Amino acid sequence: MSKHNYLVLLRNSRVQPGQPGMSGPSPAELQQIFAAYGAWKEKFKEQILDMGDKLGPEGRVVTASGVADGPFVEAKEVVGGFMIVSAETFDGAVEVVSACPAVDVPGVSLEIREMSGRSM
Amino acid sequence: MTSSRHPRGPPVPASPPGLVEHYFRHEYGRLVALLVRRVGLHHLEAVEDAVQGALTAALTAWVVDGIPDSPGAWLYRVAHNHLLGVLRKDRGRQRILDRSAGQHTDDGDRPGEPALAGEVRDELLRMLFVCCDEAIPQESRLVLALKTLCGFSTGEIAFRLFTTEASVYKRLGRARERLRQGDVETQTPPLESLRSRVPSVHAVIYLLFNEGYLSTRADHAVRAELCEEAIRLGTLLAMHAVGAAPPTFALLALMHLHAARLASRQDATGGLLLLEEQDRSLWDREHLRQGAAWLARAADGDVFTRFHAEAGIAAEHCFARSFAETRWNEIAELYAMLERIDPSPLHTLNRAVAVAQDRGPRAGLAVLDGLVPPGWLDGHYMWDAVLADLHGRAGDATTAARHRARALAAAPSTAVRELLQRRLTGAEP
Repeated sequence: MSKHNYLVLLRNSRVQPGQPGMSGPSPAELQQIFAAYGAWKEKFKEQILDMGDKLGPEGRVVTASGVADGPFVEAKEVVGGFMIVSAETFDGAVEVVSACPAVDVPGVSLEIREMSGRSM
Repeated sequence: MTSSRHPRGPPVPASPPGLVEHYFRHEYGRLVALLVRRVGLHHLEAVEDAVQGALTAALTAWVVDGIPDSPGAWLYRVAHNHLLGVLRKDRGRQRILDRSAGQHTDDGDRPGEPALAGEVRDELLRMLFVCCDEAIPQESRLVLALKTLCGFSTGEIAFRLFTTEASVYKRLGRARERLRQGDVETQTPPLESLRSRVPSVHAVIYLLFNEGYLSTRADHAVRAELCEEAIRLGTLLAMHAVGAAPPTFALLALMHLHAARLASRQDATGGLLLLEEQDRSLWDREHLRQGAAWLARAADGDVFTRFHAEAGIAAEHCFARSFAETRWNEIAELYAMLERIDPSPLHTLNRAVAVAQDRGPRAGLAVLDGLVPPGWLDGHYMWDAVLADLHGRAGDATTAARHRARALAAAPSTAVRELLQRRLTGAEP
């Protein structure tokens, strides 16, 4: 069966900073997450084609009517990062992504979209 | 590294390859101390945010690119840039920024060079002295040290101190408010001029240790972690001229000798074990060795502090071949010295126990004769437990049973209650 590539978009819910319990992972938790990422990356190294990148919080949205600041402040979720995985089936991609430690972070969702693969 | 990671499945390894245990937490303390030194204490919160931001950035960058050759330098550079960016935005503080930025323009484009090990130690120690400022309320000092030096989050501190996160927040807020009110000069005074704070530093370190050691509520790993942090800070103090003195050495000896026995205080199910029930072969040899070495250094000079007395007592227990061979007369004498230095009916109670072991229950009861326990001790399980034991062994079953009932009722946890039930069965009529 041929391989397909999938774009994975990581979305974060906006949280109110500065509240108890909302300050993000602690240093000890960050180290644990780092370890979990390392293990995950190692396990699926054949399938993670591109670890992608984290996206900055600011953006611009260009339309025919001009350029606006985005992501829009009223949006509940913002795309915080992306990566590309390879799998034979959609379910295979879901398996890789479900095991990603990011899934465990509160407020995070990962959207998987098959890439049409014109260039392949 | 295990490759069988599942999202909510088995626990992840404690530390990734290439990073030592507690690396992120200890880096947090190191970076906060170094950056506070650069931009001033009144920017503590901005510094902490910048350090947190750098650790978070490392998570992504290091997963993608691997751990850099000098992770400490990488973190310092990112935190430093982040901090300067934030301070630059804050126009109201432009003047301070200019001054602090001016301090390292001679670094050229290399603000990220981490300090030498000695300098890092000094800055960590300076931060510890900052946390122990007498102007900061006592209950805030420990929390501030746990946050800034040990890298625990407010939630983790609340969990370890058995309080609420809101309470930790409040205590931190008071400490920070006090730090903001202080001299707005960016430099904290030289360590040598902070010598008067050494007793407060001792107190905070010992408090931190006891939060771990005496707790009957947390699991072993959590307790050991607090004890290790206390020993780490104590060692820092002992390695600098400002703190390298017999009282500090005695405190370190005391902590090592207690820590050596930490694991053996609980059985496999988490129940507490009496000293006489403990498997002495489980005592940590490295802690025993360190404890003995610090105790030898503490014996230098003519000061005898409460830490000396307590370390001496711990040493008697640690180096006795067996419970039966414990030198109870020495221990009773050390408790008597402790009472003179730091009068407390609790020490008298402990002396009574030692005397009873040495010369029988009636001699032990004689020590307590005429002692009227203050309210806090009268309602404490230890007071009644000792009386139940001594009266029982002296043949007064009725009095023993009365104290036994009171001790059981006052036990602070199930583990303590079970221990009392086991220990005091002989005192039943």
